[in-house]
Amino acid sequence: MSEIPGTTSAGDASVDRGSRTKLRLNASMIIGAILILLIVALALVSFVWTPYGPSAVDPAARLQPSSPEHPFGTDKFGRDTLTWIMYGARITLMVGIVAVGIAVLIGTPIGIIAAVFAQYPWGVWLSAVIMRANDILLAFPALLLAIVFAAVYQPGTGPAMVAVGIAAIPGFARVARSGTMQVLGSEYVRAAKASNRTAPAIAIVHVLPNIAGMVIVQASVAFAISVLAEAGLSFLGLGTQAPVPSWGRMLQESQQFLSTQPLLALWPGLFIALAVLGFNLLGDGLRDRFDPKMEARGNG
Amino acid sequence: MITYVASRAIQFVLALIVASVVVFALMSILPGNAAQVALGTNATPDAVAALEAQYGLDQPPIIRYVNWVVGMLGGDFGTSYVTGAAITPVIVGSVQVTAILVIAAIVLAIVIAVPLGTFAALEQRNWIGVTISALSQIGIAVPNFLAAIILVIIFSLTLGWFPSQGWMAPVEGFGGFLLRLVLPVVSLALVQAAILTRYVRSAVLDVMREDYIRTARAKGLTRTKALFVHGLRNAAIPVITVAGVQLATLLVGAVIIEQIFVIPGIGSELVRAVANRDLVTVQGIVMVLVLLVLIINLIVDVLYPIVDPRIRNAS
Amino acid sequence: MKTPRVSSWMAAVVASSLFLAGCSAGASDSGEQAKKDSMTIAFTAEPVNLDFTSTSGIAIPEALMENVYESLVRVDGEGEIQPGLAEDWDVSEDRKTYTFQLQKGVKFSNGADLTSEDVKFSYERVQKDWKNALKSKMDVVDSIETPDDLTVKISLKKPSNTWLFNMTSLVGAVFDTEGTDDLANEAIGTGPFAIEKFSRGQSIDFAARDDYWGEKPAVNKVQFKYFKDAVSASNALKSGEIDVVSNLQAPELAGEFQSGDYQIISGTTNGEVVLSMNNAKGIFKDKKAREAVMHAIDRKAVLDTAWAGYGELIGSMVPPTDPYYEDLTKVWDYDPAKAKDLVREAGIEGETFAFTVPNLPYAKAISEIVSAQLAEVGLKADIETQEFPAVWLDKTFTEHQFDMSVINHAEPRDILTVFSNDYYIGYDDSKTKKIAEKADTGTEEEYVSGMKEIAKTITEDAASDFLFLFPNLVIAKSDVAGIPANRVSDSFRIADLSWN
Repeated sequence: MSEIPGTTSAGDASVDRGSRTKLRLNASMIIGAILILLIVALALVSFVWTPYGPSAVDPAARLQPSSPEHPFGTDKFGRDTLTWIMYGARITLMVGIVAVGIAVLIGTPIGIIAAVFAQYPWGVWLSAVIMRANDILLAFPALLLAIVFAAVYQPGTGPAMVAVGIAAIPGFARVARSGTMQVLGSEYVRAAKASNRTAPAIAIVHVLPNIAGMVIVQASVAFAISVLAEAGLSFLGLGTQAPVPSWGRMLQESQQFLSTQPLLALWPGLFIALAVLGFNLLGDGLRDRFDPKMEARGNG
Repeated sequence: MITYVASRAIQFVLALIVASVVVFALMSILPGNAAQVALGTNATPDAVAALEAQYGLDQPPIIRYVNWVVGMLGGDFGTSYVTGAAITPVIVGSVQVTAILVIAAIVLAIVIAVPLGTFAALEQRNWIGVTISALSQIGIAVPNFLAAIILVIIFSLTLGWFPSQGWMAPVEGFGGFLLRLVLPVVSLALVQAAILTRYVRSAVLDVMREDYIRTARAKGLTRTKALFVHGLRNAAIPVITVAGVQLATLLVGAVIIEQIFVIPGIGSELVRAVANRDLVTVQGIVMVLVLLVLIINLIVDVLYPIVDPRIRNAS
Repeated sequence: MKTPRVSSWMAAVVASSLFLAGCSAGASDSGEQAKKDSMTIAFTAEPVNLDFTSTSGIAIPEALMENVYESLVRVDGEGEIQPGLAEDWDVSEDRKTYTFQLQKGVKFSNGADLTSEDVKFSYERVQKDWKNALKSKMDVVDSIETPDDLTVKISLKKPSNTWLFNMTSLVGAVFDTEGTDDLANEAIGTGPFAIEKFSRGQSIDFAARDDYWGEKPAVNKVQFKYFKDAVSASNALKSGEIDVVSNLQAPELAGEFQSGDYQIISGTTNGEVVLSMNNAKGIFKDKKAREAVMHAIDRKAVLDTAWAGYGELIGSMVPPTDPYYEDLTKVWDYDPAKAKDLVREAGIEGETFAFTVPNLPYAKAISEIVSAQLAEVGLKADIETQEFPAVWLDKTFTEHQFDMSVINHAEPRDILTVFSNDYYIGYDDSKTKKIAEKADTGTEEEYVSGMKEIAKTITEDAASDFLFLFPNLVIAKSDVAGIPANRVSDSFRIADLSWN
């Protein structure tokens, strides 16, 4: 949850940068993409087909090991674990999409605006204020926000997603700002300025396409963070609530079966790890592609 | 340099003020009534109203806010009306516990990550470097509570080397203190080490491409020697930043590990206070956490130019 | 900055200090000598303070009653009333006056002698100063006299069969006249133990008193240690760090203690796990709708899956240890077809209702299977998990914003409280109220038969579904003796514990 890279973006952009050969770069991207596709596929298939219903309880068949009827076994209510893993993929993706969506949609414009304002004499202080407000937000880690949100509203997927999303805003704002500054300082933008285009127009035509890559990289990392965050919050009882299937909740509840039915913990644990791994690898691979020495020295 | 530090300090104070308003406002809209919780399932509305008055919950928010801030400035976080005890010692005690836990974890993580990351960078093209990179990727992907559960099963329940839970203050017995510290610290440090290893590796790789390393090598130093003599100081910059940020987030992030190992840290106190609707305590804890995060960020910001002369000169 | 050298140096320090710790502490932690004199017991609900006169909930009386504070009378494992601080008592002909003879030589932990004045002071204080709503149990008391130092005469406004039993609970606790200044932090009582250390949220250390008036406890030092997480508690027992888990909140784990090193005790409590329905408004105002629920729930399956089969099916609001217990499990049978018909008759097919679930392990587990069973008969539960106690008390209990909820009503003999008009369930008590008044003032036989009638009426009205009796599931090392199987009062009595 917290112990993940990407809560800061300053150092992020330079991780593993440019050190790989083209071939290994693709390998990390490909593996990441395959893992993510697997999870997306699980989620999509769950809409049309699952082996059982998510709430199909069967007290007679509780806590079963893997079998042809239940490839991943069953839980304490006799529910099919494979079905739950498939449904859980939905929650995992939804939490990621909403949290990252909040962060991208709020953080990126903030960063761009701050950078554009900084171009004008009247806007320098405004830009500073925006970025300082952004820094204040950094003082509220995702988990702290999530605990407070869970208390103010109620524990659930919604407050958890929003908390994780808000906590990720500063990262996007910083990436967007430093990317925009760079683009605005480049030759062709100076040329555009000379031809009297307005700042917003320049931002849309030149900035967005140019910073999209780094924003996508940041999004991939943030996605991995949100997967772990959902699991951690569910573990504390502050995330997804019964009876909605979620990997974090499955892992939490399988704790008491670790010595009798370890498979119950293995599956959600494995899929959480695969999802995080997938998004981190994809982020790495993308970073190598999109990061043409983006972070100039001493620019931060 | 002085203006830089001064401007950071002003930002710091402003951030604190804004944070206090936000925290107070959030607490004011918290559902659930402390008086009702204290009185339980058989309380009459009159009794609840009387207790609310006793707690001062019927006063206007502005007055409550000012009282709270004035108290905090004097180091007094007030008295919890749920526990009937002063809050300041609770916060101080639990912050100490978490600080020990988190700092030990970060230190252990650095101890693991710096050699591993440097090694991974130096050996980046052979299987050792690749293996280290792959392991660090996997390390990040494992939720720390899963690591904790597995560590408990192996080292406590099976081998019996360490207690499975509990906390002992160093003054109560230093051996017992260290013994109980091991599993939670390792649970936290494993993931941190995986993260830091990646940062160290990339920082070292960046440094190795710098001109001064090339110059040093041209003068006949080996790659490793050139790095150790000239490069590590520069490689340390991003690592310090990341370690600082991780330290800050772990203050709350350790709460899951605290819960698994029944450790009375600040995160556990926060979760407990929230559950008891102990608003004064919640406010106090959130403020202290925000303060600590801001302090860590401030230290990182101030360290930055000291370690990196380029920034010092630029500003 | 020469990072690698610094870090390898630190690594060496950390490694060697850990190694040393490993060597030294292994021996000291499990010394046989220490073990015989002390015991550590895991609990779940932690006391937020030590003052049950102002703070409700079971955590405080669980730790303090019978251990630190004592009442004039106590209840034994069979539910019978036994002498406590009163060695004997007489009841007047009209059953309105109780004359108690106090034990001689009783001292409070602050050194003061117990006198009848203390009793008078304590019981008058209940009505005057207590904030805990349970104080209403003392409402029937009219006056308290103290003819001499060791005699207390308590007059009731009317005869009451329940009053003396209620005196075994926390309202009967006797305080020193000088000992109530800081109840939240300091507990001064006459019990066999005094509190040595109270680490809020962590543990309470009890030490046996040398000057206790009764039999000296076999174990001198007892620690209550509070675990929010049942798995942590179970791990601590497995690795020998604690000796007893007082009530395991993850019953599935009990299976791991089947070896000869441990004992598993599964007895009764006073806690009825109630699937409560809002009788006053909403979808379950209609009795047919409630009947549908009664037929739709397979209580055996609920017990087996949600709580690993530990517990007892009761079918009413009365635990088997109460004198007026009756097996009412046959009143409503599991019959989904009938339930479907009733749902159709009530015209609520496919309707969604609010199921508020406190965030407690048993409640969350039950909500999953109950909602699945209700879905089978065409009732859709909209589950809302609520923080317990704060949010549940606010939304469900006080504001009655619920159609269905599930909670363990743990108070002893609470049927009349829970099923009264103004309680959150909103049961129409016009029928039962009259019977209850008659029963309380009548003879003991009339009391028992009256209460039986009430329990039956409530069950037949389908006022709520009584899922099961919450078990007293204790796991202990095999050489711990004196753990009562049944929990009949709030308190966890530690004076009876010993090592074999």
